[in-house]
Amino acid sequence: MTAHFSRIRSLLAIIFLAIGLSGCGYNTIPTLDEAAKAKWAEVQNQYQRRSDLIPNLVATVQGYAKQEKEVLTAVTEARAKATSINVDASQITDPEKIKQFQAAQAQLSGALGHLLAVSERYPDLKSNQNFLALQSQLEGTENRIAVARRDYIQAAQAYNTNLRTFPGSVWASIFYKDAKPIAAFTATAPNAEQAPAVKF
Amino acid sequence: MTKLPALRIQAIGAWFLLSLVMLLFAAGPSLAEVKPESLPALTGRVVDVANVLKPQEREALRVKLKNLEDQSGIQMAVATVSTLQGEEIEPYANALFRKWQLGQKDKNNGLLFLIAPTEHKIRFEVGYGLEGTLTDALTKLILRNAVSPKLKAGDFAGGITAGVDESIAVLTTDKSSWQKRPALQQGGDQQASPAAVAFFFIIFLVILYIVWRNRNNINWTSAATGYVIGSAFGGRDGEGGSRDSGDNFSGGGGDSGGGGSSDSY
Repeated sequence: MTAHFSRIRSLLAIIFLAIGLSGCGYNTIPTLDEAAKAKWAEVQNQYQRRSDLIPNLVATVQGYAKQEKEVLTAVTEARAKATSINVDASQITDPEKIKQFQAAQAQLSGALGHLLAVSERYPDLKSNQNFLALQSQLEGTENRIAVARRDYIQAAQAYNTNLRTFPGSVWASIFYKDAKPIAAFTATAPNAEQAPAVKF
Repeated sequence: MTKLPALRIQAIGAWFLLSLVMLLFAAGPSLAEVKPESLPALTGRVVDVANVLKPQEREALRVKLKNLEDQSGIQMAVATVSTLQGEEIEPYANALFRKWQLGQKDKNNGLLFLIAPTEHKIRFEVGYGLEGTLTDALTKLILRNAVSPKLKAGDFAGGITAGVDESIAVLTTDKSSWQKRPALQQGGDQQASPAAVAFFFIIFLVILYIVWRNRNNINWTSAATGYVIGSAFGGRDGEGGSRDSGDNFSGGGGDSGGGGSSDSY
């Protein structure tokens, strides 16, 4: 009898050993969660950086193209709306909030794109050194946003995968019953699947 | 029933389960569009895959970059690639920077100067720690005014050297990113010294020997339990890259968030 028990015990020990060696312990879920939250904070940081560049941009363009009132107002309003929507790190499991945040930022991107397209018509503005510097800063910020989003998507994927696969799902069901999958970004524009018609 | 030694069954079972579990956790493909395996390896401070520089020009650049690192700890690398593999230069440069891990891990003071002659694109990819000094506007000016005209004229050595000189000039005039590395000069940095390696190898051999001598008496249950408890509470931190001695250049574990700017010529 005792021989059997010790066999079972050994077998259990081996199973636990296998799980332990597979590298997914009690700590993995919180670690991945914190990593994803940190990446989200970086995403917000870069979007905020873009919002901070806009007043300067609007002022510069106004100096040369005062008559483009609608475009300038659209940018300022879109910026106000975008900065008003804040998604706290604890809310990243809520897909609705992420969608709202994305929509506001996409609107700002659209308004900015429109503004930059309009400024193409003003050669004095285009050659203004301040405007060139602002343009390069905006380009840099857009790139940083892209990198931050990629990092966030990867971190969210790592966390969600760990929650769903073995043995992370085991740890989750025992210790982390509240853990929810983290929402990722969706396609931005409402009709992103349709290519825009290009008319010359 | 034949009496197989209980230990052997357990050992076989352990290995079988282990391999099964390892298969379950085989890493899937990463989300990054640019696969790190397809990027060039960090063979030195100047990686001239596109072969646009002569050996003496490469050496001159290498000396400048080495001096920069010796004096400030900033790890700058120059790379030319024959193809961007259909990618834009921004994600390619970021992926390359992250593969090479330029810059010290705690300071993130790395800088990558990437030239793609086939696509006529150039880019400075700036590490997190240098973004305040080498701002996007500054790097854009360097590329636009100093590098691009020379490259348009086909003078690769001149254009690349101008880019390197200008960025070093910007970095030296800003005191905050220009700090001597007293720790390294006094040998305080972590190095994979031969003595340490030999020490750990000897310890490893001793443990192996002890296990071998007592292989029939080991309580595998206890060993397994101990390991699991230990690993459940252990962290798994990645370590920064190794420092170079002489000029075996390797990345220090730094990161970039997409700072810098690009231009075409």
